[in-house]
Amino acid sequence: MADPASRESRPSPEEQVRILYEGAETQTATAMEQLVASQGFGELLARMTENLVALSKVGSDVGDLVLRNLGIAGRGDITRLGRQLNRTEDKLELLLQRIEELQDELNEERAERATKGAAKPERAVSRKS
Amino acid sequence: MSALGNIARLPASAIETANIMLTADDARIGTTPRDVVWTHRKTTLYRYRSNKRKHPVPILLVFALINRADIFDLRPGHSFVEYLLDDGFDVYLLDWGVPNDEDGETGLDYYVCDALPWGMREAQRSSGSVEVSLVGWCIGGALCAMHAGIEGSDSPARNLVLLTTPVDTSESLYTSWVGRESFDVDFIADSWPTVPGRAVDFANKLMKPVTNFWTTNRRLAQGVHDGTANREAHQAMAKWVADNPPFPGRAFREWVTWMYKQNQLVRGRMRLRGERVDLGRIEQNLLVVTAGADHITPPSNTVPLLHLVRSEDVTHFDRPGGHIGLMAGSRARKETWPDLADWLADRSGP
Repeated sequence: MADPASRESRPSPEEQVRILYEGAETQTATAMEQLVASQGFGELLARMTENLVALSKVGSDVGDLVLRNLGIAGRGDITRLGRQLNRTEDKLELLLQRIEELQDELNEERAERATKGAAKPERAVSRKS
Repeated sequence: MSALGNIARLPASAIETANIMLTADDARIGTTPRDVVWTHRKTTLYRYRSNKRKHPVPILLVFALINRADIFDLRPGHSFVEYLLDDGFDVYLLDWGVPNDEDGETGLDYYVCDALPWGMREAQRSSGSVEVSLVGWCIGGALCAMHAGIEGSDSPARNLVLLTTPVDTSESLYTSWVGRESFDVDFIADSWPTVPGRAVDFANKLMKPVTNFWTTNRRLAQGVHDGTANREAHQAMAKWVADNPPFPGRAFREWVTWMYKQNQLVRGRMRLRGERVDLGRIEQNLLVVTAGADHITPPSNTVPLLHLVRSEDVTHFDRPGGHIGLMAGSRARKETWPDLADWLADRSGP
């Protein structure tokens, strides 16, 4: 006759199914990780990527050509405008940084002058006394 | 519950699971109040103000180019930013934004030589501090390391914290995928002004296909069925994972070629705008954090950095968890954030 304690610790059929399933899933995951780490998969991925990129390029080029022939600004035109804006923004940023540096220098000089100006009358007072 | 009861509850669980997955976009992420301090092109510098500020040196958070920086401030109650603010730090976040076709010519030099130093400059000006602490994660960490490798002690960074940062890619799975000769990165970068974020995300998920495409969803369904699923946590993470900004074409070409095809960073051969990126010039207090179960940047990709830098104060934490779980997982609040905050606090005094 089975010991009641061991019967209690035995997993139920439902739990057993779950454990079995999780074991199978873990093994599949490991196998798939080994597969994607193989040289063959790397080669396949490289080729697939190249083909997908080429297809998407053909598609976007055709779309752009249609727009251009209709006299509507295409993706390339908008991109060019965006790049010009980027360059302008770069110049403005550098200019702003230069202005801020000059402003900091000016503030330092002003502060220095103010300290000197405040120090002079004190000396004059001490001489009189 | 009986087996029959379990089966009877399956339709309700399936509907609930589907609801969680389909309404993930409604999750609120990145909600801590913040001010915009500076913007340039698509880059934005945010400031999170602490009402308990006690550390004079502010922290500047820098994330990767392939996901949004919201991961630093994932959701109320589980946000690294929130944690740092509560710990008395003034926090800045450099968000690279969402590049468009016009940003296709943006290279790594823009991020390392322009955006990052300019962001640090703005953080210094607005905080009134002469120095900052740089905290970079993944590619963001590599960008911070490159910056410190060029500027050395001239950089205003006092502390450098690099989280799961790729430095030596010789043992990376990416190297066997994109580092091979047949992977024509020039063709991709010439054809696509920006590499779609979805494509990069798909490749990332393909590294652990069963776990990423199946197990995550199966575990959610099981959690819903058992009544243990955390709806908010799952949705916040799912929303963040699905938000993939495009990778600017030139930066993608440079990243793949220099990091994976030629492994230039660790060899000290990388040059940005004529300046050599020499990791031996890094003199900042350095904290390197690796994650034991990280398949994207395994510890072996980061550890070589420890032997290259000139810093006298070097610390290495090797924690359990994955690439993202390390900082955003359910255990991060107890197992990672306190150590990071303590390390920074000890080095952020006047």
